[in-house]
Amino acid sequence: MASAELLQTLGNKYSAEILDATDEPISAQDLSDELEIPIATCYRRIDELTEHDLLELHDNILSDDRRRIKVYRRNVDEVRIDFDEELTIDVEERSEVTNKLDEAWRTLSDT
Amino acid sequence: MIQLTKTGIDGLDEILNGGIVKDSTTLISGNPGAGKSILCLQYIYNGVEMFGEKGIYLSFEENEEDLRQAAESIGFDKWSEYVDNGDIKVYDKQVLLRENDFSSSLEILLEDLEDDDYDRLVLDSLAMFQLFFEDEKEKRMYLLKLTDILRANGLTTLMTNEQGAVFPDTNIGLENYLTDGNIYLIQTPTDSGVSRYAWVAKMRKQDIETDIYPMEIDQGGIKVHQNASAFSMMNEDESPI
Repeated sequence: MASAELLQTLGNKYSAEILDATDEPISAQDLSDELEIPIATCYRRIDELTEHDLLELHDNILSDDRRRIKVYRRNVDEVRIDFDEELTIDVEERSEVTNKLDEAWRTLSDT
Repeated sequence: MIQLTKTGIDGLDEILNGGIVKDSTTLISGNPGAGKSILCLQYIYNGVEMFGEKGIYLSFEENEEDLRQAAESIGFDKWSEYVDNGDIKVYDKQVLLRENDFSSSLEILLEDLEDDDYDRLVLDSLAMFQLFFEDEKEKRMYLLKLTDILRANGLTTLMTNEQGAVFPDTNIGLENYLTDGNIYLIQTPTDSGVSRYAWVAKMRKQDIETDIYPMEIDQGGIKVHQNASAFSMMNEDESPI
């Protein structure tokens, strides 16, 4: 179960949009371009979301100009907040099965 | 030139015009008892016995012992020998569903696939595999990804598919479109027992005989008879696919 702090992070401007856009691995720069977020804010949000395990550093890929770039992918499918009884926040992580198949499949398309 | 993988099943390779297209995925559909698992056992067993090709058998339905008994009951006497020496690798339901943790089995499996050691794979059944996905979209996407992974690793694959009706004229699942080949096994009750038929409805890149052929299951497994003219169950213009 996650803490209420997680809600704070989720509530920050652009956080939800970033999670929505990171179904497939994407770089901070591409996120910033796609969602029209200032790049500094984008990095800050990525750090916060990563700290709460909502987002993960997926890989360091080689860019066209042969630089290493970090790509991020969301680690969560659903967050449920329950106010009944006492406050509970459940984070449903992405399925490991789909993750592994995605990973294996992505390795194919790289080669 | 298209490379073919022979099933080694009497009559079936002939109606396939030589065999299954190498590295493709073929769906084997049929009612319970139609012979899907036997066809799959035979495909893997023949691979080792006749063609020196190693195989992987994934079963969500049975455990290793059930498979061995099924294989030996139809005369595949060296099944356990092949399993012991590694020519046939079995992932049975106990392994695949261990602690409800399919993802760790999947990881081992994916490593096996990348080893290049194996040429043939059976997945029994596709429906069970698809339980690990949430919705139709995921099921389709991950079936396609899996077939891509299998193809890239040089595995010619059979997947079994439970079929509700005798004839697939209704309710053709999307998995039939997403796979390279479709083989239907059909059984109908008769006065004297049961009649069995095999129908290769589709095989991408391969010119196949699309008639429905009688088959039998006996000692030695499945035999398909090429004498199709002896009977007719369906008018040609009623073909559902």
